[in-house]
Amino acid sequence: MRFITLITKNVIHRPMRSALTALGLSVAIAAVIVLVGISWNFERSFLAIYRSKGIDMVIVHAGSSNQLSSSLEVGMVDRLRRIEGVADAAPTLVDTVAFEDQNLASVLVDGWEPDSLLFKGIRMLSGRPLRRGDDRSVLLGRVLALNLDKKADDPIQVSGESFRVVGVFESDSLFENGALVLPLTVLQKMMGREGQATGIVISATSSDPAFLDSLRRRIESQIPGVAATPARDYVVADTQIRLAKAMSWTTGLIAMVMGALGMLNTMLMSIFERTREIGILRAVGWRRHRVLVLVLGEALVIATAGTLIGGVLAAVGMQALMLSPTARGFIDPNIPIEVLGLALAMGIGLSLLGGLYPAARAAALDPTEALRHE
Amino acid sequence: MSDGNGAPILRAEGLVKYYPDGNVQALRGVSLEVRDGEFVAITGPSGCGKSTLLHLLGGLDRPDSGEVWFRGASMARLDLDAFHARRIGFVFQSFYLLPTLTAAENVQIPMFEGPWPRPERARRASDLLAEVGLSHRAGQRPTRLSVGERQRVAIARALANEPELLLADEPTGNLDSASQEEILRLLGQLRDRRRITLVIVTHSEEVARAADRRIAIKDGRILATE
Ligand SMILES: Nc1ncnc2c1ncn2[C@@H]1O[C@H](COP(=O)(O)OP(=O)(O)OP(=O)(O)O)[C@@H](O)[C@H]1O
Ligand SMILES: [Mg+2]
Repeated sequence: MRFITLITKNVIHRPMRSALTALGLSVAIAAVIVLVGISWNFERSFLAIYRSKGIDMVIVHAGSSNQLSSSLEVGMVDRLRRIEGVADAAPTLVDTVAFEDQNLASVLVDGWEPDSLLFKGIRMLSGRPLRRGDDRSVLLGRVLALNLDKKADDPIQVSGESFRVVGVFESDSLFENGALVLPLTVLQKMMGREGQATGIVISATSSDPAFLDSLRRRIESQIPGVAATPARDYVVADTQIRLAKAMSWTTGLIAMVMGALGMLNTMLMSIFERTREIGILRAVGWRRHRVLVLVLGEALVIATAGTLIGGVLAAVGMQALMLSPTARGFIDPNIPIEVLGLALAMGIGLSLLGGLYPAARAAALDPTEALRHE
Repeated sequence: MSDGNGAPILRAEGLVKYYPDGNVQALRGVSLEVRDGEFVAITGPSGCGKSTLLHLLGGLDRPDSGEVWFRGASMARLDLDAFHARRIGFVFQSFYLLPTLTAAENVQIPMFEGPWPRPERARRASDLLAEVGLSHRAGQRPTRLSVGERQRVAIARALANEPELLLADEPTGNLDSASQEEILRLLGQLRDRRRITLVIVTHSEEVARAADRRIAIKDGRILATE
């Protein structure tokens, strides 16, 4: 008999309890994987936008925490273009619209100038890109087109106004795949924000961090009232992303602690019930550390089962989320391998923590006392 | 202390054991010697301190005063885990087999503390089960065995690491007279074959009669030894 056989038999001997503990743990682990995975993808997806378009810096109104709440004059773009180190600059206006018939509560709308650098990194799947002089034309991201069941040349209502879909595009970013793009001037008029942008993106002549830092200082000194931030910092500092991350981590952590408490409860019960058995093990010469390893091993077997089930639950949960059209545009159902590894390590680590105290108690049992235990 | 035949394997001097919870003076100064290869029975009325004495002799518990020596070495200074694992075997009235394991697996439990790799453990367990006459029951769980068979498995387990000394606490206490006969015969065989020393706590006249010597306890003291 192997030592692991003994461990496994002890776990299997209480099938209901072991299964329930593993299940509790698996739900906790699935929650961590799904929540952290989503916020991780959220951030990655944001970064992908900037990377694929060659955007090095984002300009917003000083004091704004994100693009949606920022406001800048579009005229500023020409001044920016003249600053040394700026290769190109493009204004963007961002808003959200609802498509109630399709149950889509908040779809991102981007207002872009037709020949803007923002069109880099998106591929037309059908139709054509925006052209100068386009008026009632929209581009749909791939996922949004699917959700709205629209294709190139279809008529479409946006915020009660009539448009025509001129093309469907695909982007590396989920956000853009779930968004629609309008000519900047058209969106400005719809929002009553003529001449304004929520942000201006800049592609610099070099992406070197030191260079970007000096460019940032040049921009901020030449154009008062704006904040220039390197794209990566901008994404990482974005309050929404930070909030999403903090919330997913907190929720995940709470779930994990509950899982560990479940493990603690199960293992404590199991060693109390087996007090006499543990006394016997000690009486036949088992060292304290072998008893410790036995109980920890049992916790580990349950944790491993819980982690595996948790992984499956997470995958299923992600797919279930994708059934919701609102989520479909924003959520990347692929679970990053890093998040998977992290959840695995956390699950096993916390379960071991939950198993450590019972194991230490079992190992500390005095054989005579344990043998008298009824 | 001289070696050779007749040298004490166990010596106890002035053992006192007090249990604070219940305020019980379980042992009130017990001194004894057990010689190598001897079969000693410890008898006495219920609650007189027999199990307490056996646990002290086996190093499962420590006396409040007095001392136990195993082959001349004080138990207080012994590596007790190693001592339990390799020098001594315990048998209990209620067998205490692990219910999830087969007979053969139960016998292997102590061997985890020994030097044997897995195939060797399995082979030794099957030899031991053969020695107690249970080869045909090796794959059974304890619940499928008769009480006499269970005790034989427990004896095989106690022998797993080839101890020099076997301590048994009422090993026939839960057995019918036929099974008691069997166990007694088995213990006699083990003693002849392995030259193992036996210290057995018992209520049974038959077991006590089979012993070389009887130590009678009453109220935590030795009443008589014969
Ligand atoms: N751990 C303990 N805590 C408190 N009291 C104990 C403990 N162990 C034994 N005792 C008490 O010490 C006395 C001697 O107990 P012990 O078990 O040694 O007796 P025994 O001779 O083996 O009895 P029996 O024949 O019933 O097995 C008894 O009064 C018992 O209740
Ligand atoms: Mg007793």
